[in-house]
Amino acid sequence: MKVTFPYMGTTVVYKKLLEMLGHDVILPPKPTRTTINLGVKYSPEFACFPLKVIMGSYFEAIQKGAEVIVTSGGNGPCRAGFYERVHQRILESEGYDVDFIVFDSMFRDPKTFFRNIKKLRDRTPWIQVMKSLLLIYDMIGKLDNLEKKVQCIRAYEKNRGETSRIWEKIQYDFDQAFSFASMKKAFKLGKEKLNSVPIHHIEEEEQIRIGIVGEIYVVMEDSINMKMEQVLNSLGAEVERSQYLSQWVTYNMLPKWMNWTHENAVLKKGEPYIPILIGGHAKQSVGQIVDYGQRKFDGVVHLMPFGCLPELVSQSIIPKISEDYNIPVLTISLDEQTGIANNQTRIEAFVDLVRGKRKQRLNGKTKLSRNKREHCCSSS
Amino acid sequence: MKIGIPQALLYHYYYPFWKTYFDSLEIETIISSPTNKRIMDQGVKYSVPEMCVPIKVYLGHVLELVDKGADYIFVPRFVSIQKGQFFCPKFMGLPDIIRHSFPEMEPIMISPYIESTTDDLATSIKQYQVFEEKFGISRRDNRKALKNAESVWKSFREYSLRGYDISEAAALSMNDGHKTLKQRKSEVKERFETPEVTIGVLGYVYNIYDSVISLDILNRLKEMGVKVRTFEMIDDDVLKEQLSSIPKTLFWTFSDKLFAAGNHFYHDSEIDGIIHVTAFGCGPDSMLGKLLELDSTKHEKPFMTLRIDEHSGENHLQTRVEAFVDMLKRKKRKVKRGALA
Ligand code: SF4
Ligand code: SF4
Repeated sequence: MKVTFPYMGTTVVYKKLLEMLGHDVILPPKPTRTTINLGVKYSPEFACFPLKVIMGSYFEAIQKGAEVIVTSGGNGPCRAGFYERVHQRILESEGYDVDFIVFDSMFRDPKTFFRNIKKLRDRTPWIQVMKSLLLIYDMIGKLDNLEKKVQCIRAYEKNRGETSRIWEKIQYDFDQAFSFASMKKAFKLGKEKLNSVPIHHIEEEEQIRIGIVGEIYVVMEDSINMKMEQVLNSLGAEVERSQYLSQWVTYNMLPKWMNWTHENAVLKKGEPYIPILIGGHAKQSVGQIVDYGQRKFDGVVHLMPFGCLPELVSQSIIPKISEDYNIPVLTISLDEQTGIANNQTRIEAFVDLVRGKRKQRLNGKTKLSRNKREHCCSSS
Repeated sequence: MKIGIPQALLYHYYYPFWKTYFDSLEIETIISSPTNKRIMDQGVKYSVPEMCVPIKVYLGHVLELVDKGADYIFVPRFVSIQKGQFFCPKFMGLPDIIRHSFPEMEPIMISPYIESTTDDLATSIKQYQVFEEKFGISRRDNRKALKNAESVWKSFREYSLRGYDISEAAALSMNDGHKTLKQRKSEVKERFETPEVTIGVLGYVYNIYDSVISLDILNRLKEMGVKVRTFEMIDDDVLKEQLSSIPKTLFWTFSDKLFAAGNHFYHDSEIDGIIHVTAFGCGPDSMLGKLLELDSTKHEKPFMTLRIDEHSGENHLQTRVEAFVDMLKRKKRKVKRGALA
């Protein structure tokens, strides 16, 4: 089958999985202006931004020959669970007949999950399927590990753009690896490469860390969030994202009773502000800000698609959390009209503010008590 | 001790229930004024800009109740009234939005979780225990009050199903005097004897029955001699049947009802056209609106979307609605002539 999938974050992962199951993978192009325009043209005006971008990337993938779309049903009761219906209907009305395979959590709806796996498996032997799944899982973990380093080193790189280039290369290496051993090698090599990036030495008190939280798609996909991580890095801030694929997969694959994941801990932290799951990632966003506050991050950037229902609830609550934990938060809502041009100054001003606040805080204390703060650049 | 009830959001669907309940318990209530400019402005001022109008307006109502001296404010947390379905995230997080925006309000908010399996709110006493504690009410009285509330609400729903609009139905169910349902029904028939056109108006109760938010769309239509049908006038079983033929439904109860009502309107030969009244930035509506719009050509029934927000202009709306109604009338006459010829 000629299969495609929505573009989000480190796409090598999905590509690899589908390839290992013996499919012809049509890699959707990384979303560009054209993708977005295409999506906007066909989607409902007030659909969430992710829906529009994904719509656009489906059109592009179909033009490249995709026949089947594999996607996930989204988290919790929000619109994402309905995306596929709208996408399919719109494609249909434009005369495209494509199949959708929608994955929901394995434990929330095991029947569909296995039916989907069966469909996708085709003639691949089960043992091979299992092996592929494990291999992919291993790969996601490794990639996430390296990416965290990237997000930190890039803040101090001497040669602009070097880290990002190396990161691209690393992903390519992983794309070419098909066994545990070669993965391991790619991982080791990647780590070495990153460690050899020449970096500026920056004084402890000048180092700032900013967390990124918000709706999963705009947090994970840098082509639609104005490359937020790189922007912050280039302003000299270390960055950590609230979501990494490995966390997401683990959280969604584990049954409730043994779900001691980071995600669950974060949800707990969100509880005082939003006691129940209200859909999307609102409670995670809120909990994650608390987490960053507790870990003494210097600031948080909150990303949301324009008009995103649950994130509007978090946005309403953020001033309170920001006050409670004394951590500055900048909310940026993204849609087809958002551009870096009209946001760059906001972001710069925010980073300045964060920096100033940090100085203030440190001056207040006589001795630097930052032993607890682990920096990814210095640790292994 | 006075409990304030904001006249916004699901007030329009549950007022007869809540009012009867509190009355039976002899708890005094204050209702905020119908939405007005001040309420709207206050709400807009304290909400994040991207928020949809009905939620902004709700905040305005809450603030007015505080000004009016309410000791408590009733802000229920609507989670679910149907198995496997939920409310729009903004409803589920509503008490959180309010208590974190106005920390001083937290102690006076009464926010029971509304979680049941039917839209009859009397089915789970758990939600009402909070009143026993706060007002020293016995379990027995609580149950009795719920029973009363339930029966009034049921008769309210009954009126809706007979074609009364929400305000009529509320008034009738709450001071139902001597007239029987049957008598009422015959009156309805007389009033709408020969409507030239009938329009299915799709919209949440808190939008279309709030004459400020919706710029009084219902009365405008009535003045043009249009008979209006809305989702709450359709029997739940009919709606459910519509939904059962759809592979995947939305997650949100009222959005699903609208979606089902829209599909029903397409199949109902009495309906000449559909107007979808939606708040600017309403997420759920963007999905169901699009799906219904795509079906419009298939069913050969005109479909119009009216988007409303705090800046909506009356003239513009009036013109569009008039044009739509005229078009429907012309279309109908043509068909009639065609049939005669
Ligand atoms: S969480 Fe936000 S972006 Fe995701 S489906 Fe819901 S409204 Fe859309
Ligand atoms: S359903 Fe739409 S109008 Fe109602 S609260 Fe949610 S977003 Fe607002």
